This record gives sequence, structure tokens and C-alpha cells, in this order.
Amino acid sequence: MSFDDELDELKAREEKARAMGGPDRLARRDAQGVLNARSRIDALIDPGSWVETGLLAVSSIVPEDRDRTPADGKVAGFAKLDGRMVGVVSNDFTTKGASSSATNMKKIGHVKRVATERGFPLVFFGESSGARMPDNMGAKGMGTNLGNDPQQYIRTRRTPWAAAVLGQCYGSSAWYTCLADFAVMRKGAIMAVASPGLASFAIGQKVEAEDLGGWKLHSEVSGLVDRVAESDEEALDEIKRFMSYMPSHCNEVPPRAPVPAGSDDGAKRILDILPESRKRGYDVRKIIQCLADTDSFFEFKPRFGRTAVTGLARLGGRSVGFIASNPMGKAGALDVAGCEKATRFTVLCDSFNLPLILLVDTPGFVIGIEGEKQKAPGKIMNFMQALQMCTMPKLSVIMRKSYGQAYLNMGGGRNSDDVAAWPTAEVSFMDAHFATEIVTWGQQVSEADKQEIRDRMEKDSSAYGLAEIFAVQAVISPADTRRYLIQQLEIHELRMSGGIGEHRMAGWPTTY
Amino acid sequence: MATTQVTSEVIGSVWKIEKAEGDAVAEGELIMILESMKMEIPVEAPVAGTLAAIKVKPEESVEEDQVLCLIES
Repeated sequence: MSFDDELDELKAREEKARAMGGPDRLARRDAQGVLNARSRIDALIDPGSWVETGLLAVSSIVPEDRDRTPADGKVAGFAKLDGRMVGVVSNDFTTKGASSSATNMKKIGHVKRVATERGFPLVFFGESSGARMPDNMGAKGMGTNLGNDPQQYIRTRRTPWAAAVLGQCYGSSAWYTCLADFAVMRKGAIMAVASPGLASFAIGQKVEAEDLGGWKLHSEVSGLVDRVAESDEEALDEIKRFMSYMPSHCNEVPPRAPVPAGSDDGAKRILDILPESRKRGYDVRKIIQCLADTDSFFEFKPRFGRTAVTGLARLGGRSVGFIASNPMGKAGALDVAGCEKATRFTVLCDSFNLPLILLVDTPGFVIGIEGEKQKAPGKIMNFMQALQMCTMPKLSVIMRKSYGQAYLNMGGGRNSDDVAAWPTAEVSFMDAHFATEIVTWGQQVSEADKQEIRDRMEKDSSAYGLAEIFAVQAVISPADTRRYLIQQLEIHELRMSGGIGEHRMAGWPTTY
Repeated sequence: MATTQVTSEVIGSVWKIEKAEGDAVAEGELIMILESMKMEIPVEAPVAGTLAAIKVKPEESVEEDQVLCLIES
């Protein structure tokens, strides 16, 4: 029995769906050096591993759209990434601007549900114009399409999510980017609640797209993206790199990687980076690079909240997260953006079983009117609560200054499982210079007496003072710090749970 | 010949300039020191090359991301 007609029809329908918005639109993208929805998937995944879902889905609301909505504008499916299963949703902007419709939202929901329930990560390629009109217009549109998935925007961090902003991202592309654990943005792409055109029509605000939602805004001011890429290909590589540090799901430990040759050599260079003068700044990222396995440091939000540095790395082949205050940014005094960045990163690490390493050189929190207007006390407590809620191993190294509440936020006292200090450490409620001015406020005190008070305060702030009362568990040479961290990671391994934390912040927001 | 802009990481002022226009600089070599929040912030050469221009003077206030000097390499 022959089924040639039926099989020919299936083949024709599949080919039409894979053709997306047609050769002309695809050619225009090629000419601009921008990948399309399907070539993006090909560039991300292991060759030959693609399993599509919903290939033959089309618009179901407007009958005349049935033949011009291949895959209904959102390509969805499953694939292997470096040998591990991932779910992928790739917006096809050549088909009705990849706008959200009744059918394609069901496709997204399916991939999300399968990935979450079966335990593998999700990748979103954002490039969409928002809700499809007229599908979503009127009471019937709203009642039929939007709001019918009570799980649509719940982020429970069961599995890692990564998102790439690769074009115009309004509506769902923006929402999913903001819900993801990791977001990369290609230069030239735009992410906003609504388009510049709508902003112009609705509120009369004439804005340039870059000002409304360009890469500079989101990498430096809003902090909504973690990395910036020059091209689609580079953005996809960033997602691959992020995933290499992550477990497939929250009940799995992150994959171990081989330790590159020469990884133990860097720690010796720390003494050349750390200035002799306590007043001299340095870039703490150089210290992290000396401590981590060679070339393994993957920084998050390098241009946002620069008083703090956050990033994934490996130590002895294990995935870890680093949070460090950076004396190059506001002398290392943590500001609101720095606290937001540290909080979000702590939640990420705790949710996916990544131990946390804190490197401390901070004179405290930034004080003053600007910070208070931005809710500084609340941000400091968000960060503090996140650290205390975190059930993954936490190791803290006091490199130089650690003052006041920031001492606690950066893992001092019992806020880490083990705290080490370098001989250069100084810990107190505040810098001796300011403390002397406060305790002598309004009194006639000679400069010589003030100096004596300052000297006494500084002496009492030493690493050895901390060691004597077991407020630090060890005083170590900077050159021994990598070895110390690797040993402590082994000691504090969560043996009772097989390396799995309690994930008490899994439902915390993804933006602060 | 590529020109690299060296920018300020911080809001502060220029404390000391250690190099002169025309000097050769190695990657990581100190060019100038800024002062911000009572801290000395070193400005190091991100690439090796020749210091083509110095755009600031000692005691001048600088903004975050302000161009401090140019290196040609």
C-alpha cells in the first residue's frame, strides 16, 4: 500500500514551515550579518541533535493567517548542548515579528513545562514585537490568549534559564530575558516594555531606541543583562559558556571540568598585584584570575554595580561563584547597584548548588543621600538575607579592609563556613581615621593625641586580633589562598545531601 | 595602527601623572594615579604601545568613563 500522497503533503508542509518568513526576508537578515531563528539554533546546539515541537503549528485566530504563519513565528524544541539536553525557544522575526499568539504561547508553555519537569535548562532567543494583534485585542482576545497560563511567569529555578537579546525585544522576549538566570545582549538589539513607536504614540515621548533599551542602558544602568556581545554568534558562545558551569537541574551538582595546566601558578602573582600602600586601589578581578583555574573566570555584569565583582569560575575543576568588593570602584565601598548584583548572584549560586567565595576589601557601604533615595538599607538587607539563607558552602577571605555591616555582608563572623584573613587584613566597625573624629567630636584633642587613638584602633584591627578570638579560622599568605580555598571546598562539601543545597531562595525575584 | 582610549573607572581627580606623551608603555604599566574617596586608583595601560595623548592634568576632576589618555599600538 502506498501513502505517497499523504507523505508528500507532510513533506511539503514541513518544508513550508522551515522556510520561515520567506527567502526575501531571510536574505535581508543575511545581508545585515544577523542570523535567523533556525540558524541561531544550529549555531548553539550539537549538530544533528534538534528535535522540533510544533513545527506545523500556525495562527489559529485569524483564518487568513493560517498560510502565512510558519511554525507560528516561534521555533521550539529540544536539543543537546555539549552532550546535555536543553529546551530552546527561538523567535522568528520574519513571521509576523514573532509576535505572541494563542498557538505559539502554547508551544513556549510546552517546552518550559517539559524542561522543568524533566530537569534540563531552557534557552530563549529573544527577538519579538510583543503581543500579536488582532489576536489579543478585545475581551475575546484577552480572555482567550493572555492570562490563561497561571504558571507562565513563575520562576522557581528548578532548571537554569539563559536568554539572548538578539533584536527588538518587547513583551514576552523582554519578560523571559528578565526571568532568566543569565542574559546576554547583542549590540544593536533593543529590550524594553514597549517599542519607541508606542512610547511616542502613547505618551508623546520621542526617544531613540538605544536610549530606551540599548545595550549601554542594560549593561551599565539597569543591570538587566549580564554580558554584551558583538554578534549573534558571540552571544550564543556566551550562553554555551554559562551552561558549562551549571547543572542540568537544581537536584544535580554542577559538572566537574579538568584543571588546566598551570592553574596553580597564578596565586604567586597576587603579591605583585596587591599594593603595599593600604590607600592604593587595585582591580580585584586580577586577584580572582590568579585564584581560579586558568581562564575559568566568567564575569557577570562587568559594567554594572562596579563596586562589586561577581562571576562564575572553577577551583580545582569545581564550579563556584565569586563575589568580591572592588577597590577600583568607589574604593570598594558597596553601593546600591553592587548590593543588587551580589544579591542576584547569591540566589543564582544557591539555587544551582554552586559554592560561594567572597573576597573582601571594603571600607563599608556607600553612604549619603543618593543611596538612601535608592533604598540602600533595604538593598543591604536583601544581600544580607540572601547570604544567610544560602545553604551552599561559603568561604570568605579578608584581603584588606572589612568594616562595619559590610564585614557581615561579605561573610565575616559566622556568615561563612570558614573565614581566612591575609596578614594585610584590617577589621573594625569603621576606618580608624573616621572613628577617631567621631570619638573626639566636639572635644579639644591635640593632633598627637588623635594620632595615638588612631594608632591604637588600627593595631586592634589586625588579622591576628581576629585569629586570637577565632573570628577567622586562619591567617594565610595570599600565595596560599588558592590551595586554602580548594581544601576548604573539599572539607565543606555537602556530603549528607550529595552536594545539593536547600534552595530556600528559589522563588526569589530575578531583579532587585 | 590602532588607538586605544584609556578611561577612568571612577569619579575623582588626577593625583599624579607618571608618564609623558610619546613615552612607550608596556601592557599593565602605570600611567597615572587618580584619587577617589581617599583611595589612590592606578590607571594602567590596557595594551602596549606609545602614549599618543594625555587628556587630563594633575588636580583635574574626572568623571567615570572619561577618556584620560590615548595609546597607539
